[in-house]
Order: sequence, then structure tokens, then C-alpha cells
Amino acid sequence: MSFFRNLARKWAENYRKMNIQMVISLSFTLVAAAGILIMGLSLFWRFSAANRQSVAENSQRILAQANLNLDSYLRRMMRISDTVYYRVIKNTDLAQGSLTPSMNLLYEENRDALVSLAVFDSRGAPVSSVPLSTLKPGVSPSGEDWFLTATRSMENFHFSTPHVQNLFDDPDRPYRWVVSLSRHVQLTRDGSTQGGILLVDMSFAGIEQVCRDAALGDGGYLYLIDGDGELIYHPRQQLIYTGLLEENNLTAAGYKDGSHMEQFQGQPRLVTVKTVGYTGWKLVGVAPERSWTAGSLQLFQFALPLVLFSIFLMAFLNFHISARISDPIRQLERSIKELERGWDVDIQEAGCYEVRQLAHAVRSMVSTMHHLMDDIIEQEGQKRRSELEVLQSQINPHFLYNTLDSVIWMTESGRQEEAVQMVTSLARFFRISLSKGKNIIPLSDELEHGRHYMTIQEIRFKNTFSTEIRSLPGTEGLYCLKLTLQPLLENAIYHGMASAEGEGKITVTAYREGEDLLIDVSDNGLGMRPEVAASLLDPSVPSAASGSSSGSGIGVCNVHQRIQLTFGEKYGLTLFSEPDEGTLVRIRLPALTREAAQLLQGDVL
Amino acid sequence: MKTRKNDLIQGIILVVLALSVLLSLLIPQLFRSEAPPQRLSLSVLLRDEDSAGWSTARQGMEQAADELGAELRFLTLASSGNSAEQAESLRREVEEGADALVVVPADPLSLTQTLDQLPGHCPMVSLESPVGSFSGVAAPDNDLLGRQLAQALFLDWDGGAVLLWDSSPASTGVSARLMAARETLEGLGVPTETVSALPEENVSHRWVMAFEPSATRQAADRNSRQELPFSLYGVGTSTAIIIHLEKGVISALAAWNDYAAGYLAVRQAVSAAQGEKGGLEPLPFSILRGEDIYEPENQKLLFPVTS
Repeated sequence: MSFFRNLARKWAENYRKMNIQMVISLSFTLVAAAGILIMGLSLFWRFSAANRQSVAENSQRILAQANLNLDSYLRRMMRISDTVYYRVIKNTDLAQGSLTPSMNLLYEENRDALVSLAVFDSRGAPVSSVPLSTLKPGVSPSGEDWFLTATRSMENFHFSTPHVQNLFDDPDRPYRWVVSLSRHVQLTRDGSTQGGILLVDMSFAGIEQVCRDAALGDGGYLYLIDGDGELIYHPRQQLIYTGLLEENNLTAAGYKDGSHMEQFQGQPRLVTVKTVGYTGWKLVGVAPERSWTAGSLQLFQFALPLVLFSIFLMAFLNFHISARISDPIRQLERSIKELERGWDVDIQEAGCYEVRQLAHAVRSMVSTMHHLMDDIIEQEGQKRRSELEVLQSQINPHFLYNTLDSVIWMTESGRQEEAVQMVTSLARFFRISLSKGKNIIPLSDELEHGRHYMTIQEIRFKNTFSTEIRSLPGTEGLYCLKLTLQPLLENAIYHGMASAEGEGKITVTAYREGEDLLIDVSDNGLGMRPEVAASLLDPSVPSAASGSSSGSGIGVCNVHQRIQLTFGEKYGLTLFSEPDEGTLVRIRLPALTREAAQLLQGDVL
Repeated sequence: MKTRKNDLIQGIILVVLALSVLLSLLIPQLFRSEAPPQRLSLSVLLRDEDSAGWSTARQGMEQAADELGAELRFLTLASSGNSAEQAESLRREVEEGADALVVVPADPLSLTQTLDQLPGHCPMVSLESPVGSFSGVAAPDNDLLGRQLAQALFLDWDGGAVLLWDSSPASTGVSARLMAARETLEGLGVPTETVSALPEENVSHRWVMAFEPSATRQAADRNSRQELPFSLYGVGTSTAIIIHLEKGVISALAAWNDYAAGYLAVRQAVSAAQGEKGGLEPLPFSILRGEDIYEPENQKLLFPVTS
């Protein structure tokens, strides 16, 4: 019991480890193999049973024929006996005539089957006998079994078992095996009747011939026994008599007519019994096991390759079909695992209906998930952009205060013309900053915005530096992100020019490079070490993220992030700087046409 | 990885099944012998001029040969008991490719020497005389037979010397019977006289013993023909001998089943030719008198029923 429990547990463990194709293919193959084997065994068993039945029926048929022949032979003997009795003995008065001539005629007519005909009186003295007349010396017929049996039971015929003829001296053919048919008769002598015995000695060869002709085949044979099981005929009779062979004749005597299975000397065999009329003898047909298993063996040799081939075919088909069913499922599983690893996977919709539906659902789910993730990323970007734009849009109050204070100071000192110029630039500066809320503005506006800013700052810084802003051919009609230039100019003023000695110069150059719009902002200020320049674009560096406190409040890093959030990673700022040599900040933007800007404007806003 | 392992398992299953199909087709072909089994050729060398005295044994031999798939060649001698002629016959048969021999040896020693000189090994089974190099002997215990036959004579003996006919001095089996009989009789105080041939004219002895079937028949024939006064004790189961026994010409007879002897001799020869080892047990025998022959068991012993 525990063995089966362990087996079930191991099977369950293996089942959990197996993939779906293995489970399907092995299960189907095992079930199919079991079905084929059961069907094969069932057919084999039915064939064997039918074969045995056929052997039994064949034995019965042959025994019936042998019985018919034997019956005919015995009837002939009985007819001879009747003829001797009713036509010869009954019609002859022994005092007046002899039985011998008539008996001789009968003998001659039937000499092929007869050994002798003899009539004895009730004391066993010979009355008449043909063809031999001389009794052997010392023979006493009245002591013989056939005589005693006929005397005891007067009404019947009596058949003896085979024995050697021992009554008459036969110089030509001594010691012939005979079967004696004896009966009680009424002899007439001088008109009075007296008892006697009529003996018909049949040649055993006749019975032998009848039985020998009935061949069962396949090692089968037929033998004849009397009611007590004593052998009358057996194809290997002498071997049995000499003890070299044994036969199950005594057991067979107890069998009823029909077929019986028996074990004899360790071998199974089919024994068919048929009782012979008048005599109580039994014909016994023996069919050894091989007579019905030979066909089964041939069938087995024929069926085994077929069964194995069927199992092979089933296994092959099962493996193939299960692979067709499970491959899309495994593919789906692999795709999901790749998804888990974060890879971008194209989920294939293949296989049967349910699997396709499942793949479709997963694909939809992944698509939805991607959209949601994109939305989240977009929202995050939007949020970040908004934050940056809010920062960007805030004008440093200190800048505004300083500008207005400069205007007041110029007005009070009568420099009205400069004051007007400063206020005008401030107004233009704010107008472009607003730009009706648009985020993408023409490049010319952005450059104009820078010029106004620089006009104000130049007045404030009393023209300690000069500014050149220009756009090269090819940039006409292009658009760019708003407020990208001003923070860089502010940085150039405060970090490059404020502390510089001598005449400072800030140059802004817009030009086109392929599909990109580049704006270089360079100054000849103090410059900085390259690693410091690189750190300005790193949002993890606090000074870069928050911007310069002394600038317009909008850091270079914020401009860089805003460009990348709007146009992607490949765009943004690049800083080139060397101490005492100045700084170049390069803005890389897509070269947006009006249509593209309008389209983008819609997306961005 | 798992998929590759599964593919491997499935591949193995398919290969095993395909091999099973092939083997189930091929194995029956391999074990099916195309040629019919070769029939063994056995030569039966008799000691006598004809095989009439061995007819019952011959029937047994033929039965065994039929069952075991052997062919028999019966060879008799131009003159009975001619050991040189029998040795020559043996040489010829072996050279002609006999698989085994069954012999009633005229001179067992001479036959053994002849056989030993021949190249190769040809099994030889004797029907009468045991010799060391024989593959088996299908005969009764000769010593016991001689003693029991002598005791049967002693039961009838009322005086006078017993003539012991040594009809085949070279036959060790016959000699063993004779010596055992002589020893038994002399032990019982019965005088014996051993002769190599019956006297031509008159047999003065009242008791004669013969120890082989042909000698028994010859002595019985002379006894019957010349109405000699001796009581004959012999061996054999031929019809002629049984007739003499029934008529009282032979007083007692040591009889064994010649059919069984012939059958066993051939079966043993076939076994030996097939390289199997093992010998034969001595055959049972009976001492019969005339009145016993129609006993059911004796009928089966003396008068074979054969199909």
C-alpha cells in the first residue's frame, strides 16, 4: 500500500515538474498504449479461446467419424454373429448336420475381419469352428472370460479386450491379437435345445485400422479404452505395455462424453471422449497444448509488431500534436517571462482558439499596460515640464527691481532716451516671454527675446560687455522652445562677464546642422574647468538643479532637462569651457518647421 | 533547457518503440530455421545371417527412429557370429558417415578396437554385451539372468549333468550369462559341462542351457525334430521360440521385451549422436514357462502390438 502511495507521490512531484507538452504527450501515449495492449490481449485471448474451441470441435468431429466407423465395424461383427446364430445354429440340428459348412462360408465372406468363428457347448467343448478346428492341448474354453461372461449374461453381446488368440493351433499365423465377441446361443440336438456359446474372434487389426485412420493432427492422437480404462488401442500401445510410456487412460475412463482439459505429466492437453455404442468402450482424442497454441503463437508473432507499431505511431502523433498544442502556450510563457524581465516583446497569437484568445488577452493587457505606463511617463514628463516652465516663467524679481530701478535712475538723471529704450526692451521682453501662452515660438522671436534681455543688461552693466546675436542662413522660419536662450545669457553675464576684466563679449549664433537647429552661446569670460562644466548639466548636483541664485533663477540644467523632456534624449545642452578662455554652451534642438511646431505645440500643450 | 530535455525523452521513447517494432519483426525470423532438421543416419549391425530373430527389436527400433527423426540401415552377416565381417561392416558404415551404431556384437572387444582405430567419434550402443567404450547397453542384467535361469532349471533338476552351450564365446554378454548360470548350478551342487556346440549326433545330457536366442532356437528345433530327451532352458522372445515354449520343447525361458530393447537402443544412439550423456538401465526380464505365456502381462511382453 505504501509502495503505491510513494509511487503516487513521486508521480505527483514529477507531474509538477513536467511541462504541459510532456504531460499531454505522455498521458495520451500511456492511455493509448494501455488501450492498444488491452485490445490486443483481448483479441489474442479470444483467438486462443476460439482456437481451442476449434480444436475441441475438430476432435469431436473426428471422434464422431471414428465412432461411426467403429460402430459400423462392430455392427458387422454383430451381424455375423446374428447370421451364425439365426441362420445357421437355429436351423441346424446338430444330430443331423454340421454347422461348419455354413460357418465356413460366412468366414470366407468376412475373412478380412475375422480370425475365427467357433461354437462351444455349455461345458466348453467345441461344437464347430472355422477356419481352425484343432484346439491347443490343455486349453479350457469354459474357463475363459468371454465364455464365463456370455454364460452369465445370456441376452447380450460381450466384447472382450484385445488378447492373443489362444484356443486354436494356427501354424501359419500363431499368436494373433483378437477381440472376442461372445454370446449365449441355443443349440439343437435331436430336437432338444441346449445352451452353448458362440465366439466370433475379430482381428484386432480391423479395430486398429479404424482408429489409426482417425488422425487428429498437430501431435494429437486417438486411443480406445474399455469401460474400466483398459487400453484396447493406442498408437504407441507397445511402448505403454513395455512401461516406456504412460497414458492417462484410467482417468479418461471416468470422463463423460465431451471435451475436457487435463494436466498429464505436467502438460495441459485437451481430451475429447466419445462412448462407443454396445460395448461401453470409449474413444479418447488427445490434443496437446501446441495444437491450439501454435496458431496463437503465430498470431502473437504477427500481432506484436502491429501493436508495437501502433503504439509507436500513437506516441509519434501524440508528441507531434501535443507540441502543436503546447508550443504557443510555451511561447506565451516565454513572452511573459521576457516581459517580466522588462524586455519589449511582441506576443504572437498562434495555436488553437483558446490559446489564441489567451495570447490576445495577454497582448491586450500588455498593450494597455504599455499605454498606461506611457501615460504615466508622459504625465510625469508633463508635470516636470510644467514645473520647469513655471520656474522658467518666473522672472527674477531682483532682475525686475534692478531694471525698474535703473529706469528710475535714468529718468531722474535725464537720460530719458536710455530709459525709454530700457522700458521698451523690458516690455518686448515680457511680451515674448508670454507669447500668448505658446511654448514653441519662432527662432527669430527667441533671438529677439535674447536681444531685449541683453539690451537691458548692457544698460545696467554700463556696456561693460557687448553682445552679438545672429542667425545663419537656413534657420529662417524655424521654431524653437521658448526661453532657452535667456537663462544661458544670464549665466554668461553673471558667471562669465560680471567678474571679468576687460571688454566682455557674448556671441549667440543660430545655425542649422542637418535636421537639427543649433544655437551656440559663447562668452570670453572666466570659463571653468571641463568637469565643472559637465556637472552643471547633472541634476543630481544641487547647484545645477536649482540654478544660480545670482542669475534669473533658472538654471542651465533646467533648460537642458526641459529640452530633453520635450524633444528626447538626443537633444539638450552641451558645455565646452576652459578656465580663462570662456565658455561655449551649445543648444541642440530639432529643426522645427511651422507645421511641426504647430503639431508639437498641440502635443506639448 | 527543459524543452530540450523533454525532446530528448520523447526521442528516446520513439527510438525504443521503433527498435521494439524492428526486433519483434526480426527475432522470429532469426529463430526460424530455414532448413528442415537433418535426419540422423543410424546403422544396425546384427550378429546373425538374418534379422528374423530380431523382428520385435526391429519394430521397437523403427518406432524410436520414427519418433526421433532417424533413418535406420539394418545389416546382417553372411555367416552368423563372424566378428571379422562385422568389424568390416562397422568400419564401412562409420566411413560412410553413420551418425551412430546399434550392434548385436559377435565380438564386442574386436568391435571396440575397430571403432577406436577409426577417426572421429561414432557412438555405439550394444543390444547385448556391455563393453567399456560403448555408449550404452540395451540388455538385461546378464549375470542376474544367468543365475535366475539356472535356478529355474534347478527347480526341475532331478540329477545329471547340465550341458551349458557357449554358442558365442566372444560375446561377453552371453559369456556372462553362462558363467553366472554355471556358478549358480555348481553352487547348488549341480554338475555342468560347457560345450561350444551341441553334439552332432546324440545329446546324452538331460539338461541343456542356451544363452542366446539363436542358440536357444537351434537347440529347440533339434529337440523338437529329433525328439531328444533333454529339457531346454534358453533365452529369447521370437515367435518360433515361444511356440517351442508353449509346446514344452523349452522348459523355461528368460524373456525380456525386445521391443523395448530396440526402442531404447535407438533412442540412446540418437541421444549419444546429439552429444548427450547418460547410459541405460538394465532391462527387466522374466523367467517364463509354457503355461505362463497367455497371462495378460506376458502377452504384452511376448507378442507386441504395433501399429
